[in-house]
Amino acid sequence: MIKNLYILYGIIVLGTLGMAEYRGWSLDSVDELKNVPRSVRDNPGSYRSVYGYYHHYTGGK
Amino acid sequence: MNTSGPNPPGKPQVRPLNCPGCGAALTLRSLSQAVTVVCDHCHSILDAQDPRLTILQRFKAAVDEDPPLIPLGTRGKIRGTDYEVVGFERRTIHVEGIPYSWHEYVLFNPYKGFRYLTEYNGHWNDTSILRSLPTVNDDVSPATVTYLGETYKHFQTANAATSFVLGEFPWQVRVGESSDVSDYVSPPRVISSERTGKEVTWSMGEYISGRDIWKSFGLPGNPPERVGVYENQPFPLSADTTKIWLACVGFLVVLVLMFIAFESFAGKDRVIEDAYYVFDSSARGDASFVTDVFQLKGHTSDLQVTTQADVNNNWIYLNYALINQDTGQAYDFGREVSYYQGYDEDGSWSEGSRSDTVAIPSVPPGNYYFRIEPESDLGRGTIRYWLSAKRDVPQASFFGIALLALLLPAGLITWRSMNFEHLRWAESDYGGSASDDDNSNDTNPPISLFGKENKS
Repeated sequence: MIKNLYILYGIIVLGTLGMAEYRGWSLDSVDELKNVPRSVRDNPGSYRSVYGYYHHYTGGK
Repeated sequence: MNTSGPNPPGKPQVRPLNCPGCGAALTLRSLSQAVTVVCDHCHSILDAQDPRLTILQRFKAAVDEDPPLIPLGTRGKIRGTDYEVVGFERRTIHVEGIPYSWHEYVLFNPYKGFRYLTEYNGHWNDTSILRSLPTVNDDVSPATVTYLGETYKHFQTANAATSFVLGEFPWQVRVGESSDVSDYVSPPRVISSERTGKEVTWSMGEYISGRDIWKSFGLPGNPPERVGVYENQPFPLSADTTKIWLACVGFLVVLVLMFIAFESFAGKDRVIEDAYYVFDSSARGDASFVTDVFQLKGHTSDLQVTTQADVNNNWIYLNYALINQDTGQAYDFGREVSYYQGYDEDGSWSEGSRSDTVAIPSVPPGNYYFRIEPESDLGRGTIRYWLSAKRDVPQASFFGIALLALLLPAGLITWRSMNFEHLRWAESDYGGSASDDDNSNDTNPPISLFGKENKS
């Protein structure tokens, strides 16, 4: 019983892995936006990134 | 005494008798095969082989001192054969002055003879006398016995005394009589040797669930809950552990093949290769710009973006937007490239990296461009950076996650199995220190023996 459950589980894991690799899933964080105006290409400054005004670490020991 | 021969199990014959001690009516269920019978009124142990029922011993006990969980006279099926419960005894050992007791039930079938059920803390064993002697090997530790090709490890030895009896027995039972009992285990079986004087009796028990016994004997309610791990209690998943590991190995082989396949056949198309940019941190005004349009082909897949910068004790932050020229869909993300180094009393040190990689997930095919907006501290001079982008790159992290996901259940079951064995052997003659460390075992029997005397 447990063995059959594990086999089912393993198939799901490998199937999900195959799907993730084929479809190009990623663990990185990216925001998706829709309907960005074509004018951005002519005027890049008109676009406002959601990642603007990021607090930067300045390093140093 | 009725000596007309065995009776079929469906028609029990009982022999009405009276106790010579108190006159109470007695019932002999095992016919002429009983050697002793106990009067449950005055607790006289009588010689069942003697027509006058000579009193062999009297012992003091309350009438309801230790009622059997399976009442005498109850009939049930064990391994396809009908048996009747004809006797009941309690046996006790003392460990560090503390008494520990277990119960033994004598079962009888006129064709098959006697067999036994033992119970301690909800753990049951179906036990019968061995017909041939096992081979004992005392040269190893723990000692072993071999029987029918199977090896049993010594578990524990103790002196067990009979402390209460009821019903009929195929031997000269006495309250207070003791014997040295050794158990050798190979779950779900156990072989026990019982030594009284020069006589040694060997028996074999097989673990059986209380639920099965309740079902077999048609007993009301539920069996007592099991407490602790018994000496020959099988690990519930023992049969599955090996199979799960075999399946796991099979899955890992498939995982490796998948890795090779994805690495070999993934597109890994370079859509941007080391595009070179310069950011002047001293310049004021809008620093954002857009790249040329590039085409992403094939099926929906990831886009791996790598940024390299010649930062030194400095940083550059890049607001990226990957924008589909045709649909207006954008993937917005920010990446920082920072690198710091220096010297102190511990020597040289460094933090960060001059390179950064990110994978944008599930990007459909189409015509795209990047909108890039660099940032850094004012007055840091010019910072050069390079941008590369590759389409359809396998993500090794998912293979790592899958590897862990496949190993985790198998490892968990193995860990549980090892823990189960630890709890089992903590109560043996070889697990004193483990027992001291594990309070959860306090409810387990310090010894869990059963052995049958065969003195008839």
